[in-house]
Amino acid sequence: MSRATPQMRDFAGRLIAYEKGGPKSSEDKTPVAFHVCEKLRPHLATLAGKAGFRALLSRALAVASAEVPWLRAVQVEADGALGGWDDSNAQGNPEEMEEGCVLLVAQLLGLLVAFIGEDLTLRLVREAWPKLALNDLDSEDKNEKEN
Amino acid sequence: MKKKTNATKSKAPNKVAIRQMPTGVRGLDDILGGGIPEFSFNIIAGTPGCGKTTLAHQIVFANATAKKPALYFTVLGEPAMKMLRYQQQYSFFDADKLGAAIRFINVADVVMEKDLDAVFQEIAKQVAAVGPSIVVVDSFRTVVRKVLNSAGELEMQSFVQRLAQFLTGWEATTFLVGEYVQEEIRDNPVFTIADGLIWLSQVAERNSVVRKLQIMKLRGQGSVPGLHTIRISDGGLQAFSRTLGLVGRKERPARQRRLSIGIPELDSMLGGGILEGDSLLIAGPSGTGKSALATQFIAEGLRRGEAGIMAIFEERPQGYADRAENFGLDLETPRRKGKLEILYLRPLDLSVDETMQEILDAIERVGAKRLVIDSLVGFEMALAPGFRADFRESLYRMIGALTGAGVTILSTVEVEDTFTALAFSHYTISFLTDDIIRMRYVEIDGQLRKVMMVVKMRGGNHSKDIREYVITDKGVVIIHPRQTDYAGLTTGQPTRSGQHNESAPEPKATK
Repeated sequence: MSRATPQMRDFAGRLIAYEKGGPKSSEDKTPVAFHVCEKLRPHLATLAGKAGFRALLSRALAVASAEVPWLRAVQVEADGALGGWDDSNAQGNPEEMEEGCVLLVAQLLGLLVAFIGEDLTLRLVREAWPKLALNDLDSEDKNEKEN
Repeated sequence: MKKKTNATKSKAPNKVAIRQMPTGVRGLDDILGGGIPEFSFNIIAGTPGCGKTTLAHQIVFANATAKKPALYFTVLGEPAMKMLRYQQQYSFFDADKLGAAIRFINVADVVMEKDLDAVFQEIAKQVAAVGPSIVVVDSFRTVVRKVLNSAGELEMQSFVQRLAQFLTGWEATTFLVGEYVQEEIRDNPVFTIADGLIWLSQVAERNSVVRKLQIMKLRGQGSVPGLHTIRISDGGLQAFSRTLGLVGRKERPARQRRLSIGIPELDSMLGGGILEGDSLLIAGPSGTGKSALATQFIAEGLRRGEAGIMAIFEERPQGYADRAENFGLDLETPRRKGKLEILYLRPLDLSVDETMQEILDAIERVGAKRLVIDSLVGFEMALAPGFRADFRESLYRMIGALTGAGVTILSTVEVEDTFTALAFSHYTISFLTDDIIRMRYVEIDGQLRKVMMVVKMRGGNHSKDIREYVITDKGVVIIHPRQTDYAGLTTGQPTRSGQHNESAPEPKATK
């Protein structure tokens, strides 16, 4: 079951955009979703253990791969890191790359929300990105429009 | 000049003051003798589903602050993720405490992949970094299993000893949560080292399951022995001490007021009314007007500005209020104004203690002066089967606690009328009550009529008359003393000893 709702995709998109803006080597072609997942890993592993984190990420990857073909090459390693990627994969369609990143992170966050709820998920995300302003899952723009 | 009294007196020993930590579980601190001793090393044990983790969470959420944080180590039992998923359903769960005040740390990987020393080092590292006031290891049993599989009992004992010393040294109050069965207590060194042992269990009887708590061990303070009922609801655990009601009883005032029951003739029979703080039992068979009389008692109190509680077991509150309305008694308005609560206590798995607590809470909420329990038979039926055996003893405690709270109680009990004897109640509980009114059917002139009598009044004299009454749209109405004399009214089949030409109180069918 896909948990990448429009709201979750938007939230994932914000994390990815924030992470893109961070310091990164120009030669690093690793998808940004990998960095996002890697940042979440220690925080989630503290709560769920390595095996627990691995299970969540595997599930998110499996669901996301069904929609975005390039993700099928990606694997979750024993320690919970994402692998199976090499730079030759980076030659693909940039839109598809972006879509896969958003989808994978959205699935992972969606699973977290389903398990522990929005409040605690936001807490975890804030721990991983303490400088990122997050009040809820909705973007600031959307909140402003609604207000 | 000051007298040197102090110097000559022997000095009281300067004992260490052990501070007590509240558990956050209602009723449990009283059972523990004040709370959990600070810096103690405790075990919360029991079989699966007893509420061990919920209890640990409740203690943690009640005490942890950013300055005095708690570390919650999860091992191979319930992962923290799942714990958070389920525990956030309880009202005590405060998400704002997560992070700064409460930290969940999963050490399952260390337990699985490394040895005992590594487990100890990991816990010690986290404790040294955070300086927690509370440490929980859940489930400790899985650590112990791992130890027993890979090392000997001695090594395990040494590990537990080291952990206990370290955590106490770091001024942490510790809780090891684990699934154990009672047979393990004797031989398991963990229990020897522990300062406190809180045992949770589920007792099944027929289709009913009741949760129990026992303080099997608690160093340094006196706890209440025995099995205490616990209930897990949206608010978490609540404990009901088996001595609830036996301690802190108020003494009755030397001069008690008399309370009107709302039926002037009955007040006269009672010598002016029920003595305030008394427990009055109304016994009679079905249909004799016990509930009507109880309603009149409450309504009279409300009329005089005395708030009331009606604990009912056989009927829903709305039905009860509607029936009162048929007697011209308005229960709805005082209910809306918070002067009356009709407690419909959910049937089938109650304990007397939690019923008592619910009633005591309601008494406090509305400032009740009068209480109706309608009926004791319904109450008994609502209890889990395991509690029915102790009903008399429990009732004794309950009535003591409730009258101790300053209320005047009217309880009803259904008795089957035999036409040879006059039973007061099949519970033999009449010794529990101060006053007894017996209602019964009698056969007179081809009619089944109703009579009542005051059988017992502990606080004073009362009428010895057997009075006939009817139930009208005003409730129970005692009719004027009749001129015809009868003998054997209490048997239900009286014989007329005098002849007077009197009409029946209610029309008799004619040809």
